[in-house]
Amino acid sequence: MSKKTYFHAIKLIPEKCTGCTKCVRVCPTEALRLRNKVVELDASRCIDCGKCVAACSFGAIETYADDLQVIGKFAYKLAIISTSFAGQFGDGISYETAKRGLLHMGFDAVASEAMVTEMMGLMIREYVSNHPHIKPILSSNCPSIVRLIQVRFPSLLPNLLHIEAPMSVLATYFRNKICSEQKLDSSEVGIFLIVPCVSQVTAVHQPEGTYVHLEDGAISIGDVYQYVMANIKEIQADTTPMEVYPKGLSWAISGVEAEEVNDGSIRTMDVSGVHNVIDILHNIENNQLGVYDYIVLNSCANGCVGGVLNVENPFVAISRIRHLMRNATHKDFHDQLFIDLYRQDRFNVIPLEPRPIMALDDNIKNALTKMKQINEILEKLPGLDCCACGCPSCSALAEDIVAGKAELDDCIVRMRRLKETNRGE
Amino acid sequence: MSRYWYTREGMENRANRFRQTKPQPVITMDYSIGQHDFVNAGKASGDIKLALKKIGVDSAVLRRVAIACYEAEINVTAHAEGGLIHANIFPDLIQIIVTDTGPGIDDIEQCMVPGYSTATDYVREMGFGAGLGLPNIKKNTDALFIESTKGGHTVLEIIIFYE
Repeated sequence: MSKKTYFHAIKLIPEKCTGCTKCVRVCPTEALRLRNKVVELDASRCIDCGKCVAACSFGAIETYADDLQVIGKFAYKLAIISTSFAGQFGDGISYETAKRGLLHMGFDAVASEAMVTEMMGLMIREYVSNHPHIKPILSSNCPSIVRLIQVRFPSLLPNLLHIEAPMSVLATYFRNKICSEQKLDSSEVGIFLIVPCVSQVTAVHQPEGTYVHLEDGAISIGDVYQYVMANIKEIQADTTPMEVYPKGLSWAISGVEAEEVNDGSIRTMDVSGVHNVIDILHNIENNQLGVYDYIVLNSCANGCVGGVLNVENPFVAISRIRHLMRNATHKDFHDQLFIDLYRQDRFNVIPLEPRPIMALDDNIKNALTKMKQINEILEKLPGLDCCACGCPSCSALAEDIVAGKAELDDCIVRMRRLKETNRGE
Repeated sequence: MSRYWYTREGMENRANRFRQTKPQPVITMDYSIGQHDFVNAGKASGDIKLALKKIGVDSAVLRRVAIACYEAEINVTAHAEGGLIHANIFPDLIQIIVTDTGPGIDDIEQCMVPGYSTATDYVREMGFGAGLGLPNIKKNTDALFIESTKGGHTVLEIIIFYE
Protein backbone atom coordinates (compact mmCIF):
# COMPACT_ATOMS: atom_id res chain seq x y z
CA MET A 1 0.00 0.00 0.00
CA SER A 2 1.03 3.64 0.20
CA LYS A 3 4.64 4.07 1.24
CA LYS A 4 4.29 7.83 1.69
CA THR A 5 5.37 9.16 5.07
CA TYR A 6 2.86 11.37 6.79
CA PHE A 7 3.53 14.34 9.02
CA HIS A 8 1.35 14.57 12.11
CA ALA A 9 1.13 17.35 14.64
CA ILE A 10 0.69 14.95 17.56
CA LYS A 11 3.43 13.14 19.43
CA LEU A 12 3.06 10.09 21.66
CA ILE A 13 5.03 10.14 24.91
CA PRO A 14 5.51 6.45 25.84
CA GLU A 15 6.82 7.22 29.37
CA LYS A 16 3.54 8.93 30.24
CA CYS A 17 1.22 6.36 28.63
CA THR A 18 -0.56 4.17 31.19
CA GLY A 19 -2.21 1.95 28.58
CA CYS A 20 -5.74 3.07 29.50
CA THR A 21 -6.92 2.87 25.81
CA LYS A 22 -9.15 5.97 26.03
CA CYS A 23 -7.48 7.40 22.92
CA VAL A 24 -7.76 4.07 21.06
CA ARG A 25 -11.53 4.11 21.56
CA VAL A 26 -12.17 7.69 20.40
CA CYS A 27 -10.09 7.58 17.20
CA PRO A 28 -12.47 7.90 14.21
CA THR A 29 -10.11 6.12 11.81
CA GLU A 30 -8.90 3.35 14.16
CA ALA A 31 -5.33 4.68 13.85
CA LEU A 32 -4.28 3.87 17.43
CA ARG A 33 -3.39 0.53 19.01
CA LEU A 34 -2.01 -0.44 22.38
CA ARG A 35 0.93 -2.76 21.80
CA ASN A 36 3.37 -3.89 24.48
CA LYS A 37 1.50 -1.71 26.98
CA VAL A 38 2.18 1.49 25.02
CA VAL A 39 0.02 3.28 22.48
CA GLU A 40 1.16 3.30 18.83
CA LEU A 41 -0.02 5.43 15.90
CA ASP A 42 -0.54 4.25 12.33
CA ALA A 43 0.53 7.42 10.49
CA SER A 44 -1.27 6.50 7.27
CA ARG A 45 -4.65 6.36 9.05
CA CYS A 46 -4.38 9.45 11.28
CA ILE A 47 -6.35 12.52 10.13
CA ASP A 48 -5.09 14.88 12.89
CA CYS A 49 -8.51 15.43 14.39
CA GLY A 50 -7.03 15.74 17.89
CA LYS A 51 -9.71 13.59 19.55
CA CYS A 52 -6.95 11.48 21.18
CA VAL A 53 -5.26 14.57 22.60
CA ALA A 54 -8.49 15.64 24.28
CA ALA A 55 -9.18 12.10 25.52
CA CYS A 56 -5.81 11.49 27.20
CA SER A 57 -5.79 12.25 30.93
CA PHE A 58 -2.07 11.60 31.35
CA GLY A 59 -0.47 14.05 28.94
CA ALA A 60 0.84 11.15 26.89
CA ILE A 61 -0.27 12.68 23.59
CA GLU A 62 1.33 16.05 23.00
CA THR A 63 0.46 18.50 20.29
CA TYR A 64 3.03 20.01 17.99
CA ALA A 65 3.02 23.55 16.65
CA ASP A 66 5.89 25.73 15.45
CA ASP A 67 8.03 27.64 17.89
CA LEU A 68 7.94 31.43 17.64
CA GLN A 69 11.69 31.42 16.86
CA VAL A 70 11.00 30.16 13.32
CA ILE A 71 9.75 33.60 12.27
CA GLY A 72 13.22 35.12 12.83
CA LYS A 73 14.71 34.09 9.51
CA PHE A 74 12.29 36.14 7.37
CA ALA A 75 12.69 39.79 6.41
CA TYR A 76 8.92 40.37 6.56
CA LYS A 77 6.65 38.36 8.83
CA LEU A 78 2.88 38.17 8.57
CA ALA A 79 0.56 36.43 11.03
CA ILE A 80 -2.89 35.28 9.90
CA ILE A 81 -5.16 34.56 12.84
CA SER A 82 -7.95 32.01 12.87
CA THR A 83 -11.42 33.31 13.73
CA SER A 84 -11.53 31.33 16.98
CA PHE A 85 -8.66 33.51 18.35
CA ALA A 86 -11.15 36.27 19.18
CA GLY A 87 -13.03 34.06 21.63
CA GLN A 88 -10.03 33.24 23.79
CA PHE A 89 -9.58 36.51 25.69
CA GLY A 90 -11.57 37.67 28.71
CA ASP A 91 -13.64 40.86 28.88
CA GLY A 92 -10.76 42.99 30.19
CA ILE A 93 -8.77 42.44 26.99
CA SER A 94 -10.14 43.80 23.73
CA TYR A 95 -9.84 41.90 20.46
CA GLU A 96 -7.64 44.75 19.13
CA THR A 97 -5.29 44.35 22.08
CA ALA A 98 -5.06 40.61 21.62
CA LYS A 99 -4.33 41.10 17.95
CA ARG A 100 -1.73 43.77 18.71
CA GLY A 101 0.05 41.22 20.87
CA LEU A 102 1.26 39.57 17.67
CA LEU A 103 3.14 42.75 16.67
CA HIS A 104 4.87 42.56 20.03
CA MET A 105 5.78 38.97 19.32
CA GLY A 106 7.76 40.16 16.31
CA PHE A 107 5.31 40.10 13.41
CA ASP A 108 5.31 43.02 10.97
CA ALA A 109 1.62 42.73 10.21
CA VAL A 110 -1.43 40.81 11.37
CA ALA A 111 -4.32 39.69 9.16
CA SER A 112 -7.36 37.73 10.19
CA GLU A 113 -9.36 34.96 8.60
CA ALA A 114 -12.49 36.99 9.37
CA MET A 115 -11.45 39.58 6.77
CA VAL A 116 -12.16 37.24 3.90
CA THR A 117 -15.09 35.11 5.01
CA GLU A 118 -17.64 37.30 3.23
CA MET A 119 -15.68 36.97 -0.03
CA MET A 120 -15.46 33.23 0.58
CA GLY A 121 -19.25 33.14 0.74
CA LEU A 122 -19.47 34.75 -2.72
CA MET A 123 -16.80 32.41 -4.12
CA ILE A 124 -18.57 29.34 -2.72
CA ARG A 125 -21.94 30.43 -4.17
CA GLU A 126 -20.31 30.91 -7.56
CA TYR A 127 -18.64 27.49 -7.29
CA VAL A 128 -21.96 25.87 -6.38
CA SER A 129 -23.74 27.48 -9.34
CA ASN A 130 -20.91 26.44 -11.69
CA HIS A 131 -21.14 22.81 -10.55
CA PRO A 132 -24.87 22.01 -10.59
CA HIS A 133 -24.20 18.33 -11.35
CA ILE A 134 -22.28 17.83 -8.08
CA LYS A 135 -24.63 17.61 -5.12
CA PRO A 136 -23.79 18.36 -2.43
CA ILE A 137 -20.53 20.32 -2.57
CA LEU A 138 -18.58 19.69 0.64
CA SER A 139 -16.58 22.40 2.43
CA SER A 140 -12.79 22.14 2.46
CA ASN A 141 -12.00 24.42 5.45
CA CYS A 142 -11.32 21.68 7.93
CA PRO A 143 -8.09 19.78 7.10
CA SER A 144 -9.18 16.81 9.23
CA ILE A 145 -12.34 16.40 7.19
CA VAL A 146 -10.43 16.63 3.91
CA ARG A 147 -8.18 13.82 5.14
CA LEU A 148 -11.15 11.86 6.49
CA ILE A 149 -12.69 11.92 3.01
CA GLN A 150 -9.36 10.85 1.48
CA VAL A 151 -8.99 7.85 3.78
CA ARG A 152 -12.57 6.68 4.39
CA PHE A 153 -14.78 8.24 1.68
CA PRO A 154 -12.61 8.57 -1.45
CA SER A 155 -15.72 8.29 -3.65
CA LEU A 156 -16.72 11.74 -2.35
CA LEU A 157 -13.45 13.50 -3.28
CA PRO A 158 -15.08 15.05 -6.41
CA ASN A 159 -17.66 16.65 -4.09
CA LEU A 160 -15.03 18.69 -2.22
CA LEU A 161 -15.00 22.43 -2.82
CA HIS A 162 -11.82 22.90 -4.83
CA ILE A 163 -11.01 26.29 -3.35
CA GLU A 164 -8.42 26.78 -0.60
CA ALA A 165 -9.56 27.38 2.99
CA PRO A 166 -9.88 31.10 3.94
CA MET A 167 -6.51 31.33 5.69
CA SER A 168 -4.71 29.82 2.70
CA VAL A 169 -6.60 32.11 0.32
CA LEU A 170 -5.34 35.00 2.45
CA ALA A 171 -1.79 33.60 2.39
CA THR A 172 -1.83 33.63 -1.42
CA TYR A 173 -3.27 37.14 -1.50
CA PHE A 174 -0.82 38.60 1.03
CA ARG A 175 2.21 36.86 -0.47
CA ASN A 176 1.47 38.63 -3.76
CA LYS A 177 0.62 41.94 -2.12
CA ILE A 178 3.63 42.03 0.22
CA CYS A 179 6.11 40.95 -2.44
CA SER A 180 5.05 43.74 -4.80
CA GLU A 181 4.56 46.49 -2.18
CA GLN A 182 7.70 45.76 -0.15
CA LYS A 183 9.82 44.78 -3.20
CA LEU A 184 10.69 41.46 -1.58
CA ASP A 185 11.31 38.02 -2.96
CA SER A 186 8.77 35.40 -1.90
CA SER A 187 11.47 33.57 0.10
CA GLU A 188 11.96 36.67 2.29
CA VAL A 189 8.28 36.79 3.27
CA GLY A 190 7.28 34.52 6.13
CA ILE A 191 3.55 33.79 6.46
CA PHE A 192 2.41 32.11 9.66
CA LEU A 193 -1.02 30.89 10.66
CA ILE A 194 -2.21 31.23 14.25
CA VAL A 195 -4.23 28.06 14.54
CA PRO A 196 -6.83 26.45 16.83
CA CYS A 197 -6.07 22.80 16.11
CA VAL A 198 -3.43 20.26 15.16
CA SER A 199 -4.95 19.56 11.75
CA GLN A 200 -4.15 23.14 10.71
CA VAL A 201 -0.53 22.57 11.77
CA THR A 202 -0.39 19.43 9.66
CA ALA A 203 -2.03 21.23 6.74
CA VAL A 204 0.73 23.86 6.82
CA HIS A 205 3.52 21.28 6.99
CA GLN A 206 2.02 18.76 4.59
CA PRO A 207 -0.62 20.57 2.53
CA GLU A 208 -3.01 18.68 0.24
CA GLY A 209 -3.73 20.01 -3.22
CA THR A 210 -1.72 23.24 -3.15
CA TYR A 211 -0.17 24.52 -6.37
CA VAL A 212 2.45 26.72 -4.73
CA HIS A 213 4.13 27.23 -1.38
CA LEU A 214 1.71 29.06 0.87
CA GLU A 215 2.59 29.18 4.54
CA ASP A 216 5.85 28.93 6.47
CA GLY A 217 4.60 27.75 9.81
CA ALA A 218 1.68 27.31 12.20
CA ILE A 219 1.71 28.70 15.71
CA SER A 220 -0.75 27.56 18.34
CA ILE A 221 -3.40 29.99 19.62
CA GLY A 222 -2.49 28.76 23.10
CA ASP A 223 1.13 29.93 22.69
CA VAL A 224 0.01 33.36 21.52
CA TYR A 225 -2.46 33.56 24.42
CA GLN A 226 0.36 32.75 26.81
CA TYR A 227 2.54 35.52 25.36
CA VAL A 228 -0.24 38.13 25.38
CA MET A 229 -1.19 37.39 28.98
CA ALA A 230 2.43 37.51 30.14
CA ASN A 231 3.02 40.89 28.44
CA ILE A 232 -0.43 42.40 28.80
CA LYS A 233 0.59 45.72 30.45
CA GLU A 234 3.01 46.59 27.68
CA ILE A 235 0.57 45.57 24.92
CA GLN A 236 -2.29 47.54 26.47
CA ALA A 237 -0.13 50.65 26.71
CA ASP A 238 0.50 50.50 22.96
CA THR A 239 -2.07 52.42 20.91
CA THR A 240 -1.25 51.17 17.39
CA PRO A 241 -4.61 50.88 15.62
CA MET A 242 -5.62 47.39 14.52
CA GLU A 243 -8.15 46.55 11.82
CA VAL A 244 -10.86 44.10 12.81
CA TYR A 245 -13.61 42.45 10.78
CA PRO A 246 -16.14 41.45 13.42
CA LYS A 247 -18.79 40.02 11.10
CA GLY A 248 -16.49 37.39 9.64
CA LEU A 249 -15.53 36.13 13.08
CA SER A 250 -18.62 33.99 13.16
CA TRP A 251 -17.00 31.38 10.93
CA ALA A 252 -15.34 29.90 14.01
CA ILE A 253 -18.81 28.74 15.08
CA SER A 254 -20.49 25.77 13.46
CA GLY A 255 -23.85 26.67 11.99
CA VAL A 256 -22.85 30.06 10.69
CA GLU A 257 -20.95 29.42 7.46
CA ALA A 258 -23.83 27.49 5.89
CA GLU A 259 -26.23 30.35 6.74
CA GLU A 260 -23.93 32.98 5.29
CA VAL A 261 -23.28 31.08 2.09
CA ASN A 262 -27.01 30.60 1.67
CA ASP A 263 -28.60 33.54 -0.15
CA GLY A 264 -31.99 31.82 -0.25
CA SER A 265 -31.47 30.24 -3.66
CA ILE A 266 -29.64 27.12 -2.44
CA ARG A 267 -29.89 24.59 0.37
CA THR A 268 -27.06 24.38 2.86
CA MET A 269 -26.29 22.55 6.09
CA ASP A 270 -23.64 22.73 8.81
CA VAL A 271 -22.38 19.59 10.53
CA SER A 272 -19.88 19.44 13.37
CA GLY A 273 -18.23 16.71 15.42
CA VAL A 274 -16.29 14.02 13.60
CA HIS A 275 -18.76 11.20 14.32
CA ASN A 276 -21.69 13.28 13.04
CA VAL A 277 -19.65 14.08 9.95
CA ILE A 278 -18.98 10.36 9.35
CA ASP A 279 -22.73 9.64 9.55
CA ILE A 280 -23.45 12.42 7.06
CA LEU A 281 -20.74 11.23 4.66
CA HIS A 282 -22.28 7.73 4.71
CA ASN A 283 -25.64 9.28 3.82
CA ILE A 284 -24.11 11.30 1.00
CA GLU A 285 -22.46 8.16 -0.36
CA ASN A 286 -25.94 6.59 -0.62
CA ASN A 287 -27.27 9.73 -2.37
CA GLN A 288 -29.57 10.50 0.56
CA LEU A 289 -28.66 14.18 0.74
CA GLY A 290 -28.82 15.09 -2.93
CA VAL A 291 -31.20 17.99 -2.25
CA TYR A 292 -28.39 19.92 -0.55
CA ASP A 293 -26.12 22.19 -2.57
CA TYR A 294 -23.45 22.88 0.04
CA ILE A 295 -22.60 21.16 3.31
CA VAL A 296 -20.10 22.57 5.80
CA LEU A 297 -18.23 19.89 7.71
CA ASN A 298 -16.20 20.51 10.84
CA SER A 299 -14.34 17.81 12.73
CA CYS A 300 -14.61 19.60 16.08
CA ALA A 301 -17.95 19.81 17.85
CA ASN A 302 -19.26 23.42 17.56
CA GLY A 303 -16.67 24.30 14.91
CA CYS A 304 -13.12 25.67 15.17
CA VAL A 305 -13.75 27.02 18.69
CA GLY A 306 -13.57 23.33 19.68
CA GLY A 307 -9.97 22.86 18.45
CA VAL A 308 -7.47 21.43 20.95
CA LEU A 309 -4.99 24.32 20.63
CA ASN A 310 -7.55 26.84 21.94
CA VAL A 311 -7.44 27.84 25.57
CA GLU A 312 -11.06 28.70 26.29
CA ASN A 313 -14.08 26.45 26.63
CA PRO A 314 -15.85 26.47 23.24
CA PHE A 315 -19.15 27.76 24.63
CA VAL A 316 -17.48 30.70 26.38
CA ALA A 317 -15.60 31.44 23.14
CA ILE A 318 -18.84 31.32 21.14
CA SER A 319 -20.56 33.71 23.52
CA ARG A 320 -17.64 36.17 23.37
CA ILE A 321 -17.52 36.08 19.58
CA ARG A 322 -21.27 36.71 19.37
CA HIS A 323 -20.89 39.59 21.84
CA LEU A 324 -18.09 41.09 19.73
CA MET A 325 -20.16 40.83 16.56
CA ARG A 326 -23.21 42.45 18.16
CA ASN A 327 -21.28 45.46 19.43
CA ALA A 328 -19.13 46.23 16.43
CA THR A 329 -19.73 48.00 13.16
CA HIS A 330 -19.35 45.91 10.05
CA LYS A 331 -16.50 46.55 7.67
CA ASP A 332 -16.24 45.40 4.07
CA PHE A 333 -13.16 43.95 2.50
CA HIS A 334 -12.96 44.85 -1.14
CA ASP A 335 -9.71 44.65 -3.03
CA GLN A 336 -8.90 44.53 -6.75
CA LEU A 337 -5.80 42.33 -6.34
CA PHE A 338 -7.90 39.79 -4.43
CA ILE A 339 -10.54 39.72 -7.17
CA ASP A 340 -7.84 39.45 -9.87
CA LEU A 341 -6.21 36.49 -8.14
CA TYR A 342 -9.59 34.83 -7.78
CA ARG A 343 -10.42 35.37 -11.46
CA GLN A 344 -7.02 33.87 -12.37
CA ASP A 345 -7.98 30.71 -10.39
CA ARG A 346 -5.09 31.28 -7.99
CA PHE A 347 -7.16 30.12 -5.00
CA ASN A 348 -7.96 26.78 -6.59
CA VAL A 349 -6.93 23.40 -5.25
CA ILE A 350 -5.52 20.50 -7.29
CA PRO A 351 -8.00 17.56 -7.37
CA LEU A 352 -7.12 15.48 -4.33
CA GLU A 353 -5.87 11.90 -4.44
CA PRO A 354 -7.43 9.21 -2.29
CA ARG A 355 -5.44 7.84 0.64
CA PRO A 356 -7.13 4.46 0.89
CA ILE A 357 -6.52 2.78 4.22
CA MET A 358 -9.53 0.53 4.30
CA ALA A 359 -8.44 -2.17 1.81
CA LEU A 360 -7.13 -5.34 3.45
CA ASP A 361 -4.84 -6.02 0.49
CA ASP A 362 -3.76 -4.44 -2.82
CA ASN A 363 -5.20 -7.44 -4.64
CA ILE A 364 -8.97 -7.99 -4.47
CA LYS A 365 -8.66 -11.79 -4.41
CA ASN A 366 -6.23 -11.69 -1.49
CA ALA A 367 -8.40 -9.12 0.26
CA LEU A 368 -11.42 -11.43 -0.06
CA THR A 369 -9.45 -14.35 1.37
CA LYS A 370 -8.40 -12.16 4.28
CA MET A 371 -11.98 -11.02 4.82
CA LYS A 372 -13.10 -14.63 5.02
CA GLN A 373 -10.41 -15.34 7.63
CA ILE A 374 -11.45 -12.20 9.55
CA ASN A 375 -15.09 -13.33 9.59
CA GLU A 376 -14.03 -16.75 10.92
CA ILE A 377 -11.95 -15.13 13.69
CA LEU A 378 -14.82 -12.76 14.53
CA GLU A 379 -17.01 -15.74 15.38
CA LYS A 380 -14.51 -16.71 18.08
CA LEU A 381 -14.37 -13.21 19.60
CA PRO A 382 -16.89 -12.00 22.21
CA GLY A 383 -18.05 -8.92 20.27
CA LEU A 384 -17.83 -6.65 23.31
CA ASP A 385 -15.49 -4.08 21.73
CA CYS A 386 -13.99 -3.70 25.22
CA CYS A 387 -10.59 -2.61 23.91
CA ALA A 388 -8.73 -4.68 26.55
CA CYS A 389 -6.63 -6.26 23.77
CA GLY A 390 -5.49 -2.81 22.68
CA CYS A 391 -7.59 -2.73 19.50
CA PRO A 392 -10.60 -0.40 19.25
CA SER A 393 -13.04 -3.21 18.40
CA CYS A 394 -13.26 -6.98 17.96
CA SER A 395 -13.30 -6.51 14.19
CA ALA A 396 -10.13 -4.39 14.39
CA LEU A 397 -8.48 -7.19 16.41
CA ALA A 398 -9.57 -9.76 13.84
CA GLU A 399 -8.07 -7.60 11.07
CA ASP A 400 -4.84 -7.21 13.03
CA ILE A 401 -4.63 -10.98 13.61
CA VAL A 402 -4.96 -11.65 9.88
CA ALA A 403 -2.38 -8.93 9.17
CA GLY A 404 0.01 -10.71 11.56
CA LYS A 405 0.04 -7.83 14.03
CA ALA A 406 -1.88 -9.51 16.88
CA GLU A 407 -2.86 -12.95 18.17
CA LEU A 408 -6.14 -14.55 19.14
CA ASP A 409 -4.79 -14.90 22.69
CA ASP A 410 -4.67 -11.11 22.96
CA CYS A 411 -8.39 -11.34 23.75
CA ILE A 412 -8.46 -11.83 27.49
CA VAL A 413 -12.24 -12.15 27.62
CA ARG A 414 -12.08 -15.16 25.31
CA MET A 415 -9.22 -16.64 27.35
CA ARG A 416 -11.19 -16.25 30.55
CA ARG A 417 -14.31 -17.80 29.06
CA LEU A 418 -12.33 -20.73 27.67
CA LYS A 419 -10.81 -21.29 31.09
CA GLU A 420 -14.25 -21.28 32.72
CA THR A 421 -15.59 -23.74 30.16
CA ASN A 422 -12.62 -26.06 30.71
CA ARG A 423 -13.09 -25.92 34.46
CA GLY A 424 -16.79 -26.72 34.02
CA GLU A 425 -15.92 -29.91 32.17
CA MET B 1 -46.15 -13.00 -12.92
CA SER B 2 -44.06 -10.37 -14.65
CA ARG B 3 -40.33 -10.36 -15.38
CA TYR B 4 -37.90 -7.62 -16.27
CA TRP B 5 -34.38 -8.01 -17.67
CA TYR B 6 -31.80 -5.31 -18.17
CA THR B 7 -28.10 -5.56 -18.98
CA ARG B 8 -25.86 -2.57 -19.54
CA GLU B 9 -24.53 -2.35 -23.08
CA GLY B 10 -21.20 -4.17 -23.40
CA MET B 11 -21.78 -6.20 -20.23
CA GLU B 12 -23.91 -8.92 -21.88
CA ASN B 13 -21.15 -11.52 -22.25
CA ARG B 14 -19.87 -11.12 -18.71
CA ALA B 15 -23.34 -11.21 -17.24
CA ASN B 16 -24.30 -14.31 -19.27
CA ARG B 17 -21.08 -16.09 -18.34
CA PHE B 18 -21.72 -15.37 -14.67
CA ARG B 19 -25.28 -16.65 -14.84
CA GLN B 20 -24.27 -19.80 -16.74
CA THR B 21 -21.20 -20.80 -14.71
CA LYS B 22 -22.88 -20.02 -11.34
CA PRO B 23 -19.62 -19.58 -9.38
CA GLN B 24 -19.46 -19.90 -5.58
CA PRO B 25 -19.30 -16.55 -3.75
CA VAL B 26 -16.31 -15.96 -1.46
CA ILE B 27 -18.30 -13.94 1.08
CA THR B 28 -22.04 -13.92 1.70
CA MET B 29 -24.01 -11.46 3.80
CA ASP B 30 -27.66 -11.72 4.90
CA TYR B 31 -30.05 -9.16 6.32
CA SER B 32 -33.74 -9.19 7.07
CA ILE B 33 -35.74 -6.01 6.50
CA GLY B 34 -38.78 -5.22 8.61
CA GLN B 35 -41.93 -3.62 7.20
CA HIS B 36 -41.81 0.17 7.53
CA ASP B 37 -38.68 -0.11 9.67
CA PHE B 38 -37.32 3.24 8.48
CA VAL B 39 -35.21 3.62 11.62
CA ASN B 40 -32.94 0.71 10.74
CA ALA B 41 -33.12 1.06 6.97
CA GLY B 42 -29.62 1.54 5.63
CA LYS B 43 -27.90 -1.01 7.87
CA ALA B 44 -27.57 -3.66 5.15
CA SER B 45 -26.30 -1.26 2.49
CA GLY B 46 -23.93 0.29 5.05
CA ASP B 47 -22.38 -3.10 5.91
CA ILE B 48 -22.14 -4.15 2.27
CA LYS B 49 -20.47 -0.84 1.42
CA LEU B 50 -17.94 -1.33 4.23
CA ALA B 51 -17.12 -4.85 3.02
CA LEU B 52 -16.43 -3.54 -0.49
CA LYS B 53 -14.21 -0.77 0.88
CA LYS B 54 -12.24 -3.44 2.73
CA ILE B 55 -11.66 -5.52 -0.35
CA GLY B 56 -10.47 -2.44 -2.21
CA VAL B 57 -13.22 -1.92 -4.80
CA ASP B 58 -12.78 1.26 -6.87
CA SER B 59 -14.49 4.24 -5.24
CA ALA B 60 -16.71 5.11 -8.23
CA VAL B 61 -18.01 1.52 -8.37
CA LEU B 62 -18.50 1.55 -4.63
CA ARG B 63 -20.69 4.62 -4.94
CA ARG B 64 -22.90 2.83 -7.49
CA VAL B 65 -23.28 -0.21 -5.25
CA ALA B 66 -24.07 2.05 -2.28
CA ILE B 67 -26.81 3.90 -4.18
CA ALA B 68 -28.40 0.82 -5.78
CA CYS B 69 -28.33 -1.20 -2.57
CA TYR B 70 -29.71 1.60 -0.43
CA GLU B 71 -32.55 2.24 -2.88
CA ALA B 72 -33.42 -1.46 -2.89
CA GLU B 73 -33.39 -1.53 0.90
CA ILE B 74 -35.67 1.51 1.09
CA ASN B 75 -38.01 -0.04 -1.50
CA VAL B 76 -38.53 -3.12 0.67
CA THR B 77 -38.93 -1.02 3.81
CA ALA B 78 -41.48 1.27 2.20
CA HIS B 79 -43.53 -1.08 0.04
CA ALA B 80 -43.25 -4.67 1.28
CA GLU B 81 -44.33 -6.60 4.34
CA GLY B 82 -40.69 -7.34 5.02
CA GLY B 83 -37.94 -9.03 3.09
CA LEU B 84 -34.37 -10.24 2.85
CA ILE B 85 -31.18 -8.83 1.39
CA HIS B 86 -28.60 -11.38 0.39
CA ALA B 87 -25.22 -10.21 -0.93
CA ASN B 88 -22.79 -12.51 -2.73
CA ILE B 89 -19.31 -11.09 -3.05
CA PHE B 90 -17.06 -12.45 -5.81
CA PRO B 91 -13.54 -11.41 -6.83
CA ASP B 92 -14.86 -9.48 -9.84
CA LEU B 93 -18.46 -8.57 -9.02
CA ILE B 94 -21.13 -8.23 -6.38
CA GLN B 95 -24.56 -9.81 -6.71
CA ILE B 96 -27.30 -8.50 -4.45
CA ILE B 97 -30.55 -10.47 -4.27
CA VAL B 98 -33.48 -8.76 -2.60
CA THR B 99 -36.62 -10.78 -1.95
CA ASP B 100 -39.79 -9.61 -0.30
CA THR B 101 -43.38 -10.53 0.26
CA GLY B 102 -45.87 -7.79 -0.31
CA PRO B 103 -47.91 -6.12 -2.92
CA GLY B 104 -45.69 -7.16 -5.82
CA ILE B 105 -45.07 -4.91 -8.80
CA ASP B 106 -47.93 -4.73 -11.25
CA ASP B 107 -46.15 -3.12 -14.17
CA ILE B 108 -42.36 -3.16 -13.87
CA GLU B 109 -41.81 -1.20 -17.11
CA GLN B 110 -43.92 1.63 -15.73
CA CYS B 111 -41.95 1.67 -12.45
CA MET B 112 -38.81 2.25 -14.51
CA VAL B 113 -40.17 5.63 -15.64
CA PRO B 114 -38.67 8.29 -13.34
CA GLY B 115 -41.35 9.92 -11.21
CA TYR B 116 -43.85 7.06 -11.35
CA SER B 117 -44.63 5.97 -7.82
CA THR B 118 -47.05 3.62 -6.09
CA ALA B 119 -46.01 4.79 -2.62
CA THR B 120 -48.78 5.18 -0.03
CA ASP B 121 -49.40 8.49 1.75
CA TYR B 122 -47.69 7.09 4.85
CA VAL B 123 -44.49 6.40 2.91
CA ARG B 124 -44.59 9.81 1.23
CA GLU B 125 -44.95 11.48 4.63
CA MET B 126 -41.69 9.76 5.60
CA GLY B 127 -39.99 11.62 2.75
CA PHE B 128 -39.77 8.66 0.39
CA GLY B 129 -41.83 7.66 -2.65
CA ALA B 130 -40.50 10.12 -5.23
CA GLY B 131 -40.66 7.45 -7.89
CA LEU B 132 -36.93 7.27 -8.44
CA GLY B 133 -36.16 3.98 -6.70
CA LEU B 134 -36.09 1.51 -9.59
CA PRO B 135 -34.77 4.02 -12.17
CA ASN B 136 -31.90 4.83 -9.80
CA ILE B 137 -31.14 1.17 -9.25
CA LYS B 138 -31.10 0.58 -13.00
CA LYS B 139 -28.86 3.58 -13.61
CA ASN B 140 -26.23 2.23 -11.24
CA THR B 141 -26.45 -1.45 -12.12
CA ASP B 142 -24.68 -3.54 -14.78
CA ALA B 143 -27.29 -6.31 -14.86
CA LEU B 144 -30.73 -6.23 -13.32
CA PHE B 145 -33.42 -8.89 -13.06
CA ILE B 146 -36.83 -8.46 -11.46
CA GLU B 147 -39.55 -11.06 -11.05
CA SER B 148 -42.78 -10.16 -9.37
CA THR B 149 -46.19 -11.66 -8.71
CA LYS B 150 -49.06 -9.35 -7.86
CA GLY B 151 -49.94 -9.86 -4.21
CA GLY B 152 -47.06 -12.29 -3.77
CA HIS B 153 -43.34 -11.99 -3.83
CA THR B 154 -40.77 -9.83 -5.61
CA VAL B 155 -37.19 -10.85 -6.38
CA LEU B 156 -34.71 -8.25 -7.48
CA GLU B 157 -31.21 -9.20 -8.56
CA ILE B 158 -28.49 -6.57 -8.95
CA ILE B 159 -25.10 -7.34 -10.48
CA ILE B 160 -22.31 -4.79 -10.48
CA PHE B 161 -18.83 -5.52 -11.87
CA TYR B 162 -15.80 -3.94 -10.19
CA GLU B 163 -14.19 -3.05 -13.51
